Amino acid sequence: MIEDLQRLENNALAELQEASNQEQILLIRTKYLGRKGLLTGQLRNIAQVPDEQRALFGKRCNEIKLFLTSRIEEELNKQSQNEKENKLLKEKIDVTLPGRAIKYGRIHPITQISNEICSIFSSFGFSIVEGPEIELDYYNFEALNIPKDHPARDMQDTFYIEENIVLRTHTSPVQVRVMEKVKPPVRILSPGKVYRRDSDVSHTPMFHQIEGLLVDEGITFGDLKGILTLFLKKIFGQETKIRFRPSFFPFTEPSAEVDICCVMCRGKGCRVCGQSGWLEILGSGMVDPAVFKYVKYNSEKYTGFAFGLGVERMAMLKYGISDIRLFYENDFRFLRQF
Amino acid sequence: MLVSLKWLKDYVDIDLKAEKLAERLTMSGLEVESVKEIFPEFKGVVTAKIISVKPHPNADKLSLCEVTDGSKKYLVVCGAKNIKAGDVVPLAKVGATIPGGYTIKPSVLRGETSEGMLCSEAELAIGEDASGIMQLPKNMKPGKPLEKALDLEDTVFDISITPNRADCLSVIGIAREVAALTGKKIKMPKVNIKEISENIKSLASVKIMDAELCPRYTARMIKKVKIGPSPVWLKTRLEACGMRAINNIVDVTNFVMLEMGQPLHAFDFRYLEKNKIIVRKSKKNEEFISLDGKSRKLADETLLICDGVKPVAIGGIMGGLNSEVKEDTAIILLESAYFNPVSIRRSARKLAMPTEAAFRFERGIDPEGVVKALNRATQLIAELADGSICKNYIDEYPRKIRQVKNIKLRLEQVRKITGTQISAMEVTKILRNLGMRTTRSGKGIYLVTPPAFRVDITREIDLIEEIVRIYGFDRVPASLPNVSVGELLPNSHLKLEDNIRKIMNGMGFSEVINYSFIAPASVDSLLFPPEDERLNVVKINNPLTEEQSVMRPTIITGLLDTLKKNINNGYANLKIFELGCSFLHEKHGKLPKERNMFASLISGKKMENLWDYKSNVDFYDLKGCLENIFYALKLENITFKSDVVDTLLHPGKSCSIFLGDTPLGYMGEIHPHILENIDLKQVVYVFEINTDILEKHLKDEITYRDFSRFPAITRDVAFIVSRDMEADYIFNIISSFKEDLLENVEIFDIYEGKGIPENAKSVGLRFSYRSAERTLTDGEANIIHDKIIRGIVDVTKAKIRGEENQEE
Repeated sequence: MIEDLQRLENNALAELQEASNQEQILLIRTKYLGRKGLLTGQLRNIAQVPDEQRALFGKRCNEIKLFLTSRIEEELNKQSQNEKENKLLKEKIDVTLPGRAIKYGRIHPITQISNEICSIFSSFGFSIVEGPEIELDYYNFEALNIPKDHPARDMQDTFYIEENIVLRTHTSPVQVRVMEKVKPPVRILSPGKVYRRDSDVSHTPMFHQIEGLLVDEGITFGDLKGILTLFLKKIFGQETKIRFRPSFFPFTEPSAEVDICCVMCRGKGCRVCGQSGWLEILGSGMVDPAVFKYVKYNSEKYTGFAFGLGVERMAMLKYGISDIRLFYENDFRFLRQF
Repeated sequence: MLVSLKWLKDYVDIDLKAEKLAERLTMSGLEVESVKEIFPEFKGVVTAKIISVKPHPNADKLSLCEVTDGSKKYLVVCGAKNIKAGDVVPLAKVGATIPGGYTIKPSVLRGETSEGMLCSEAELAIGEDASGIMQLPKNMKPGKPLEKALDLEDTVFDISITPNRADCLSVIGIAREVAALTGKKIKMPKVNIKEISENIKSLASVKIMDAELCPRYTARMIKKVKIGPSPVWLKTRLEACGMRAINNIVDVTNFVMLEMGQPLHAFDFRYLEKNKIIVRKSKKNEEFISLDGKSRKLADETLLICDGVKPVAIGGIMGGLNSEVKEDTAIILLESAYFNPVSIRRSARKLAMPTEAAFRFERGIDPEGVVKALNRATQLIAELADGSICKNYIDEYPRKIRQVKNIKLRLEQVRKITGTQISAMEVTKILRNLGMRTTRSGKGIYLVTPPAFRVDITREIDLIEEIVRIYGFDRVPASLPNVSVGELLPNSHLKLEDNIRKIMNGMGFSEVINYSFIAPASVDSLLFPPEDERLNVVKINNPLTEEQSVMRPTIITGLLDTLKKNINNGYANLKIFELGCSFLHEKHGKLPKERNMFASLISGKKMENLWDYKSNVDFYDLKGCLENIFYALKLENITFKSDVVDTLLHPGKSCSIFLGDTPLGYMGEIHPHILENIDLKQVVYVFEINTDILEKHLKDEITYRDFSRFPAITRDVAFIVSRDMEADYIFNIISSFKEDLLENVEIFDIYEGKGIPENAKSVGLRFSYRSAERTLTDGEANIIHDKIIRGIVDVTKAKIRGEENQEE
């Protein structure tokens, strides 16, 4: 009799194993556990079991009933999960189609480089200031120690609006305007558009400049070297080799051109650096006492340095752009790369 | 400036290799832009002596020459007539190459074998003489490679001379610099003049009418000169420095200018009427034909060199055609003068004649070099043109040329500016090497007199620059400044622009930068009415091209241009913006009005390359962006008004933007007429607003307001109104009720078409009512709501579409 029970259990489990949907499982439940089910029938016949086996038979019956009930419950759950899954799978979409979003815009590379430079100098405590793009001859030249009929005017070919009104050739006039209003210490950076009558692969008649000025007591040429070295290493990397060489600007003395080791050939000499291994990157110098005189600063008490750089040139070196005119063509194939 | 290394070595000993010398010069302020080796264009040509010249047995015009290179004899067939036994000539041996890429091969000419070729100057590209075989000095040893014998190899430096270093516009000037850098002595050319008894002062006179413009004029006379080509050494020097050889007289004047930096001019004395030189200012519109053959009308104040009757040269700029040295010139009057730098610069610019002479005079020549150069050139002319030098020279020197003496130099100041601890000894040594006279006048105080040719040194700071330049910038220790702490100056404008960029980026717009100058035609194409202020454009006096000749009065032009270019490149869907200035002319003598503008343009598809969304952008896409900007910047009180419309825009799809009562700009669709004008075929939406005004209204502070935690009651109503009625009109009616409990009204639907009468539209509004203190009852809400609805209907005569639309 006990063996019959065992067989019954095995059959039930085997059938469960075969069942592939909820209905079949429910049929199995009815077949074995229902009111007229096989296991129920066995229990009903318990009276016919010999006395000595009856207790054991009853116990086994209950065990099997509990076990099958829980297995069937388990299978039902599993089936219901599967059916839900299948339903979801039928909703499958093509995840490789492009997403529907507003494509993010780009910031012009000149703005990006300019902002990067400004933020470095801001961290050194420089204020960012602006001024007019059309300037009086006085601010653009005279107050910067470039008198009329001076050969130094040849260094910057100028667009004239009227005899005494020009498109600024550099952002230095902003420095004069600030010094007229503010007493030292002065630490300013003036970014902006400037204009020169020049147009080829490396010159556009409009370009962007950033100029800086620091005036205080006890500022030396060594400080100029220190600040500009710190700046250039931040922009071009700590390993960048830098050299300062004497030059001439009417508004600074001594004046220095600052070169960095060519970023293309690492100093070996190439087309970009004209085989010299060096790239001119900044003009700088100690503010000429004549400039201080124009803004009524006492040059015995205060000294300072000034510097200027072309943003396009920085951007060209940093991104490897060989034609400056690309910046102003605003071709999307260009702009979207930045 | 081009400088030959060989020429430099005439004045200073140079042990350094060319590359090293270039680096030293660059690092002391004379930037060497390039170093170029020059070679002659031939190879394998040697000096040879002619042993005999015999007639060719089979040809009348040829001869048979026997020549030797010292070790071997050669038989050469030659066609030239100017050779005889004993001459030294160039021989191109078999295997040699000559200019034009020819290689010499053994050949048979009319039955006679030729073992090479004797060459003319022209055949070797040494000179232009093709009339016969080039004659070399008789004492030249045969068998030497010609390039060595004639010293034709050289290294040329291209040096960029900064405007302050007038003293370096000569080979001797550069040599002085090399000497100062290397501690060597400078060797000046020796001048040795043999005069004849005839005195210049009895033959010619000079009168200076304007001592301000011409403080000094000196002259010499050389008679019986023979005009001809210059010797090879002189030609190669000139050519190495980028000048063309002309004749022995002109070449000497150019040579001495390059050598000493003093421009000179040689007159043919026979054309100087009344044997006089008069230096005076031009009269207005005086006409003159200069050496280049051009006739020029002179402005007044131009300095003229005249004879007793007429002008013969523009002083310091160019000589005249009427007194030019010609083939038959016999008497030379040689001029060496000092002209006022400012006057020369003005005249050269006005005349657009940036000559080598003017370039040097305007930067300032060595006042003490005037006579030295005069004598040097006189001697060379006498030597090379076989002339006789008249006794004495004329030296009219009415006004002393200012020279700075005894500049006070403080050692402490040198250290203060440079940030070094340079020693007194080193300072004085550097100054001495630069040719400065230094005397000590106290502890750490010196009086320094620069040499006359250093016209750029007048102040203590000029001396300090010289000192640190030679000391070496690389020896100055880098330091960080010890600065006082200060407050940053405000820059809210840049901050605003940066904010705008970020917001625009997020909405899919890219930044562009266009030129500030545009073509006048671009302004015309915008069809502004005559009274529009944007027609007052700022014009550039000297534009590079017509296309860039006026400053943009609006920054829209650049955006339209960008769109057009990108459409041509296949990119028709654009969302762009620009931040920049627009310019308006105000008054002569006054700076133009510069306004900081922010403009944007959209055109094409709403979303680029989207597979399920195909519609094009419209007015509300751009308006939404603009509203979003104002929202992000927390600017309230912005209104869009359709009654004032910019002429740039489609009258039915455009508006003006106001901040309070202040006009901020405009937005809308570009007027179809303008699109047609600029040949754009797709609809374009733009806005342009003034960021200076925006900036003034930005608020930093935020005041928190508590919000109600009680539920709202909403009511939807659709009004059928005239198609022309603007939503703002209805909103204004609603706000006129000033109903506190009305929390918000929004448009949930606009409908025209089926079920709605023609020329009418349905405007669906959702009203929300809420109290800050309690839960509103339906009854309370209805009372207010009905009042508002009635108000709207009274004013607009609207019909209400289906009362049943109300819901909780």
